[in-house]
Amino acid sequence: MDAKDILGLPKNSITQEKKSRPQKDSQRKPDGISREVYALTGGFPPLIPAIEASQLKKRPPSDEKITWQWLPFTNSARKDNLHLYHWVRIVNGVPPTGDYSFAKYNKMWTKEETDQLFELCQSFDLRFIVIADRFPSSRTVEELKDRYYSVARAMLAARAPSPGDISGHPLVKEPYNVSQETERKRALSMVLSQTKQQERKDAEVLAEAKRITESRMVARGAEESELPVPSNAGPESAERAAIPSDTVSPSANVQHPSAAVAPSTITVDNASILASLRMLRVYLRTYALDQMVQAASSSAGLRTIKRVEQTLQELGVNLKPRVPTKAVCAEHLELRREILTLLNLQKQLQYKEAEGSSYRDGSYGDTPGTPKHLSHGGDQDRIFVPDMNFAGERIGKRDQKRKAPGRLSEAPLPAHKRPRKLKAADL
Amino acid sequence: MINSSSSKQVGQDQQATSEPRSPRPKIKMVKSEESDKRILNKKLKDVEISIPIVYGNVSFWLGKKASEYQSHKWTVYVRGATNEDIGVVIKRVVFQLHSSFKNPTRVVESPPFELSEAGWGEFEIAITLYFHIDLCDKPLTLYHHLKLYPEDESGPMSSKKPVVAECFDEIAFPEPSEGFLVRVQNHPAVNVPRLPTGFTLPPPELFVVPFEDANRKKRGDTKDHPLSQWFMNFSEADELLQLAAARQQVQAYLAKLRRQISMIDGQHQQLKTISDS
Repeated sequence: MDAKDILGLPKNSITQEKKSRPQKDSQRKPDGISREVYALTGGFPPLIPAIEASQLKKRPPSDEKITWQWLPFTNSARKDNLHLYHWVRIVNGVPPTGDYSFAKYNKMWTKEETDQLFELCQSFDLRFIVIADRFPSSRTVEELKDRYYSVARAMLAARAPSPGDISGHPLVKEPYNVSQETERKRALSMVLSQTKQQERKDAEVLAEAKRITESRMVARGAEESELPVPSNAGPESAERAAIPSDTVSPSANVQHPSAAVAPSTITVDNASILASLRMLRVYLRTYALDQMVQAASSSAGLRTIKRVEQTLQELGVNLKPRVPTKAVCAEHLELRREILTLLNLQKQLQYKEAEGSSYRDGSYGDTPGTPKHLSHGGDQDRIFVPDMNFAGERIGKRDQKRKAPGRLSEAPLPAHKRPRKLKAADL
Repeated sequence: MINSSSSKQVGQDQQATSEPRSPRPKIKMVKSEESDKRILNKKLKDVEISIPIVYGNVSFWLGKKASEYQSHKWTVYVRGATNEDIGVVIKRVVFQLHSSFKNPTRVVESPPFELSEAGWGEFEIAITLYFHIDLCDKPLTLYHHLKLYPEDESGPMSSKKPVVAECFDEIAFPEPSEGFLVRVQNHPAVNVPRLPTGFTLPPPELFVVPFEDANRKKRGDTKDHPLSQWFMNFSEADELLQLAAARQQVQAYLAKLRRQISMIDGQHQQLKTISDS
C-alpha cells in the first residue's frame, strides 16, 4: 500500500486484479496432491484420471480395531525354554496364533525323514554321496552325516551298560563336526578351483612365510645360543592354517613374540646365511664367501665397500682368494670386517678432530705446541702405502674437503705400475 | 681327512689279540629294509664334508698345423685339487660347449672328468657336476671361461708350452648321509672333519658300494695324467700367511686409532673443564 503511494499509482486498478486471481486459483487447486506437484504434471487435470485421489491416502479399514501389546513368546526351534518379549499386533482383541514365525527356518528332522535316512544308509552301505542323491527332501551330505552319526551315537549310548564302555568307540571319541566339515570342503573346493595365477601367488606367500619364520627362528636361536631344528613343521602348519582360512597370514603360525633385534646385526645376518647354506644340499665355498661378504657389507654404503676393496689391494690381498678353502675364507671375512671397523674408526677420529678444532678456535685460538692433527690428516685415499711402513706420520694441510692427498714419498701407485702377473693370481 | 676312526679300530684290535679272531660269519644279521634305509638316509648335522677341486683348461697352439677354424687344441676338466680321484663323489660331469660345436652337450661318465676339443674361440663353458645319489641328488654348475691366448699378447706363441687357466674351489656338503660318510671317511679326495665326540659310525658292511666304483677299470686320479705337468699349484698355506700378515697390520693400526681417539677424548674433557671453570 505504501509502495503505491510512493509510486503514485492509482489504487483501484490493482486491487481489481487481485480479487479475480484468488478465485481462479481456488478453482484450480487440485484435491489430494499439492499444488506444486500438480503443476509438474502440467497444471491441468488429466484427460483420463490415472489414479483416484482417494486411493492415495488409505486409512486402515475402519471396522478393525488394531492395538499393539507387549507379550512373551517362545521359539519351538530352541532347545532351552527361553521366554522373550516382543510387540504383537492385536486385531479386535484377538492375538495371532501359530508358532514363532522364524521357527520354520530351523532344520527339523522328522521321524519319517530319519527312518528314510537309515533305510538308505543300510541299502547303500553308508555311501553318503549316493544317499544324498536319493534322499527325497534336499539335504546336504554333511547334514545327513550329522544326523546319522548323532542318532547312531545316541543309540550306542542308550544301549551301552555304562558310559565308560563306549568312551573308546570312534563315534564317541571323534564326533562328527558339521561346521568343520563344511568349512573344510569349501576350502578344498576353493583350492581346487584356483587359477594358475592364484596358485603361484599362494606358493610365493608360503615361501615368504617360510623364510620369515626361518629367519625369526634363527634370530631367536642366535640369541638363545642354540640352533633350532629346521622347520619341516613350518610349511606344513602354514598350509593347514591356509586352508581353513581365506586369507593366508604368514605370521599366524609364528606364535612366539619376535625377539628384539639382536644387538649386533652382523651376527644375525651371518647366522641366517649359515642357516640358509645348510638348507642347500650342496654349495661352493666361493658362493658361501660371497654371501657372507655381502651380509657383512650390507650395512655399509657403496663408497665404503670400495674403500674396503682398495685397502685390501693396498695390503696385497686378493679381492677374491686364490685358494678359497674354509680356513682361508674365514680369515678373509675377518679381515674385511676388521677393515670396516678401521674405516669407521677413522671417520670417528676425523669427526672428533673437527670437534676439537672448532672448540679450540672458538675458545682459545691456536695455542702453540698443540698438534694440529694427530693422524694422516688430509690423506683420505690411502691408509696402507704398499711396500711402506704406515707408521710414518704425515704432515699436510688439514683440509677435509680436499680429495688429493699430500703424498710424502714417490711410492709407486699400486696395481697400475706393477707388472701384470698371471691372471690366476687375480682369481 | 682325519683318520680318527681307523686309529680307534687299530687300538681295539690290539686289545683283542689274546683271543683268536673268529672268521666273519657268512650270514649277516638280517635287518629290516626300513632300518637299513633309515641308516643310509640318516643325515648328519654339524658334519660338513668338503671336496677341494680345481677346474679349468689347458690349451696348445697348433703352430704349423693350425688352420683358421682350428688353431688350438684344448682340454677342459675338473680334477681333485691334490689330484686324487673325485669319482668317489662325482658320478658324471656334463660340459656345455658353445652352440657352434657339434653336440655341444658333452657327458663324461667316469673320471678323469675331462673333454678335449679343437677350435679358435674363447667362450664360457658350463660344467655341471652330478653327484652320487646317496650323497646329493641336486647337481652343481661351475662356469669357466675358456682361455686360449696368453696374457702377454706381444710374446711369441709356442706350440710346446700351453696356456693354462685354472680355478680352485671347494664343494661343500653340509649334511651328508651316514652311509656316504662311512664310504668316504678315509678317502684322500675328501675332507672329513673331526666327528663330534662320542660319535661312532656304523660299520661299512651295512652299506652297499655303488656298482661303478667296484668295477671301474680306468684309474680316476690325475696324478700321472699327461697334462699333470702343467697343473697349477694351489697352496692354502701361502694365502693364509698373506691374510695373517694383512690382519696383523690392520689390527696394529686399529690399536693406534683407538689410542688417538681416547687421547682426543681426554683433551676435549680437559678443555671442557677449563672453559667451565
